[in-house]
Amino acid sequence: MPKGFYSTLIAITAFTLIAVAVAWGQSSESGSSRAVREAPGEFQFVRLAYSANRYGRGGWGRRQMWQTDWPDAEHHFLKGVSRLTRVAAAEQGRILTPLDENIYDFPWIYAVEVGYWHLNDQEAARIRDYLLRGGFLMVDDFHGTWEWSSFVASMQRVFPDRPIVDIPEDDEAFHVIYDLDQRIQIPSRMFIYSGVTWERDGYTPHWRGIYDDAGRLMVSINFNMDIGDAWEHADWPDYPENMTALAYRFGINYLIYAMTH
Amino acid sequence: MFEFLFKYPRDDYARSELIYTGDWPPWLLALLIIAALAGISWFLYRRRDFARPPQMLVVWVLQLAMLAVVIWLLQQPTLSTEQLRAGENVVAFVLDNSESMAYGESESRLQQAMRSLSATLADDSSLELSVQHYELADRARLVSSFLESEASGTGTSIAASLTDVLREARFSPLAAIVLSSDGADTTGGLSFSDLAEIAGFGVPVHTIAVGRESIPEDIELTDVMLPNRALPGSTITARVSIRHDAAASTRLKVYNGDDLLESLPVDLQPDTKNTTVWVNIKLADAGHHHIRFSVDGIPGEQELRNNSRSTLVEVADQKYRVLYFEGEPRWEYKFMRRALNDDEDLQIASLLRVSPNKFYRQGIESPEQLEKGFPTTRDELFAYDALIIGSVEAASLTDEQQAIIHDFVSERGGSLLMLAGPNGLGNGGWGQSRIADVLPVRLPPSTTDSFFRKKAAVVLTPQGADDRMLWLADTADANRVAWNKLPEVADYQVTGNLKPAAVTLLQVMTDIGQLPLLITQQFGRGHSYILASGGTWRWQMSMPVEDQSHETFWRQLLRALVAHAPSRVSLAASGDGGSTGVSLRAEFRDDAFRPIDDIGVTAIVTHQDGDSWSIDLLPSVDEPGVFQADVSPTASGNWYFEAVAERNGEPIEVARASIHYESGQAEYFNFRRDSRALQRLSEATGGRYLEPDELDALPDLLRYSSSGLTETNHRAIWDAPAVFLLLLLLKGGEWLLRRRWSTI
Repeated sequence: MPKGFYSTLIAITAFTLIAVAVAWGQSSESGSSRAVREAPGEFQFVRLAYSANRYGRGGWGRRQMWQTDWPDAEHHFLKGVSRLTRVAAAEQGRILTPLDENIYDFPWIYAVEVGYWHLNDQEAARIRDYLLRGGFLMVDDFHGTWEWSSFVASMQRVFPDRPIVDIPEDDEAFHVIYDLDQRIQIPSRMFIYSGVTWERDGYTPHWRGIYDDAGRLMVSINFNMDIGDAWEHADWPDYPENMTALAYRFGINYLIYAMTH
Repeated sequence: MFEFLFKYPRDDYARSELIYTGDWPPWLLALLIIAALAGISWFLYRRRDFARPPQMLVVWVLQLAMLAVVIWLLQQPTLSTEQLRAGENVVAFVLDNSESMAYGESESRLQQAMRSLSATLADDSSLELSVQHYELADRARLVSSFLESEASGTGTSIAASLTDVLREARFSPLAAIVLSSDGADTTGGLSFSDLAEIAGFGVPVHTIAVGRESIPEDIELTDVMLPNRALPGSTITARVSIRHDAAASTRLKVYNGDDLLESLPVDLQPDTKNTTVWVNIKLADAGHHHIRFSVDGIPGEQELRNNSRSTLVEVADQKYRVLYFEGEPRWEYKFMRRALNDDEDLQIASLLRVSPNKFYRQGIESPEQLEKGFPTTRDELFAYDALIIGSVEAASLTDEQQAIIHDFVSERGGSLLMLAGPNGLGNGGWGQSRIADVLPVRLPPSTTDSFFRKKAAVVLTPQGADDRMLWLADTADANRVAWNKLPEVADYQVTGNLKPAAVTLLQVMTDIGQLPLLITQQFGRGHSYILASGGTWRWQMSMPVEDQSHETFWRQLLRALVAHAPSRVSLAASGDGGSTGVSLRAEFRDDAFRPIDDIGVTAIVTHQDGDSWSIDLLPSVDEPGVFQADVSPTASGNWYFEAVAERNGEPIEVARASIHYESGQAEYFNFRRDSRALQRLSEATGGRYLEPDELDALPDLLRYSSSGLTETNHRAIWDAPAVFLLLLLLKGGEWLLRRRWSTI
């Protein structure tokens, strides 16, 4: 080895580590906390970065399941919210974990592919507390018997004593801004290739929910449908426009309901 | 010495007029003066060689002064004095025999008064006055003597009683009134008009004050203020005032019927004579509640009957209506509605603009309510007690709608609360709107973005700390702690400069310093508020589920808003255990809150035992739509009043009120000697205020009274020793000077 090789190597390594540490610190500083302090809009689309079971963790280049449809889904949906309502919506979405303290600053969160989530007790307690204080959770894009049972397993840790029920037709969530009397299964983009609207054994769409003691919907459960995909592919010519429109309407109704109830 | 030199006492000179009884005609006097002046001058001029000019001048002045005194004596100076004719006048001795006169230590006030009055005439029999004896309480009563007088009057009205005496004596030669009293008047004291009426009779009233102004061994519940109506389950705040003349410790107890609601220790400080205590009372059930306040007696206290007061509170299922107009969906809207959701006494009808072309209504009572958007008529808007305007542009309402909002506050007496928002307050152009006058601030122009989505901490101002509307805890200290614990609000808005009548209750800590957050002012009959944030929802989301701070804040704020708003039809009954009667005041307005005058109003008065009668209420001269009457309850207990407005014989409106009345309680309260009232009475009538040790002056005050039948007494003073002494001094002085100057 040439003279001074080790000292040069140590110096480069140290410099690199320091640079990474500084960059990390700056990113965390300019990330959530700063953005939270100066929020750009009244409504911020928060995607829940939940803990997943072993099938939903991603890896080897694959996304984690909570990232599905990100970022186009929220980007398109937020544009729709701004265009179709008077809600002052931020242009970009935001990602928070259940245990992030800042979650209480955002009374509306969205979780996708919840058939793969696996909330531990601490995360479940946080979600329960968040919802009881007045927060709203929309879950979407999970299909079939197995994913339902996986979703319910975690949801029961959140609310062991609150049933999951079908949202009645006359619930304000379906009428607060749009009268959503049609119950059409909103498919993923795979429908374009396969022609089928369901996935796995999730043939029938269900609009379910969990209510608080005052009869207010806290969790909207969109089972056997993929509203997020319809938002994401709103600009894709092959995806049915009527499905995108319906998905926007469900999303907006849930949002307006959450901001009024 | 004065009397030796001037022949008569100094007071005689003070009350007399100096006149001249000499018969010499004026021209003769003038001629004499000129002749004497010329003679003296000529005489001295002839002898000018014997003295220097200054010496001559002194002699000239002394001789001239001598001559002036002689001429003055030739005019026969005389004192002219008006005095009562012996044996022809009357004096009224008025003895306060109200119950407060029974108070005393070794000797009661009544005994002191009787002693002072009887001593007045016994000391000087030359007065030869006829004496009429009156007892004074709520009215005057002629008695033959005071021998059987007892302190038994259940009220004291000095004005009414003296007017009685003066009217009775209108045709008799009343020389003066001598009133012996503690001055404690249960009708609220002597007004200027009372004094003017009494003074108009021209009879001096001499007052003899008895009793003590300061009674350290006594404490008294002077006043209890609390609403006489409340909503079921609501907490009302009573303000209890305790009078004391020394430091002491006691305990304030509050009863609802026989149930003890509160028991609070109270330390009465030595540096003040009035201590105020605030008590929160929760009344759950509908109906009439007899609320009694009492303080424990202190060591040595004799009069315990003034340690207790009672009042009647009606808890009724009245619904207050609030209209919330919001221009955009936002979290503040949701969480405010949630906070008020369980308050069954508040009906919040909201009109939310969810999209450019769509309104969403919540809390409406019928499909027609707000169907056409924001109210366009007075009747429609005036049906609400309070109006909240959120983040919405002023331009979204027409000029007429803005004018109705203006009148809603100024004429209807409603409360207006404006919230911050990207389209609210200054940003929304409200500073240039028709309701800008109503608001407690001068909003910045809409061209400046005054709304900031930045978190900021909230602090109470001193005024806010005193306002029960902002109490999140039961005590002032606990309330400060509670406010300090509150999370930051999510945003704030710069409000602009405060108007002179504005009061800031909350402030927000920002990068540019402390800014007003909650501001209020009265405008016309109503109130306006600004809450310069749309982010109090963080208090709900950032605190534990069980924490009620956010809910309490909004419930109390909204209840304060609606509590200010008067009802369209109302009846108020005032006067409780501390007064001698009950005053009724009914107000009737139509749906647009315009006064109704073309009606007759009758009140049905009912005692708790069932006794009932009716009385007509008379229209007020000053206030349109207001009708008044005074009622004299015949017994203690709960009294219920129902004012019925009739037009063409048909009842059109009914208003109700109730009161708890304690007969004969008035004399136990406010019974400390009121020297100032007696002083004012004497000053206004030309009489004299006397302490018990100044009674020696009274016989002369009566003898030389200006009222009654008088005669003029002339007394010459030319022979007063002082005159001759003066002449001697003048002539002797001249002689001594001339001897000294060797000019003799």
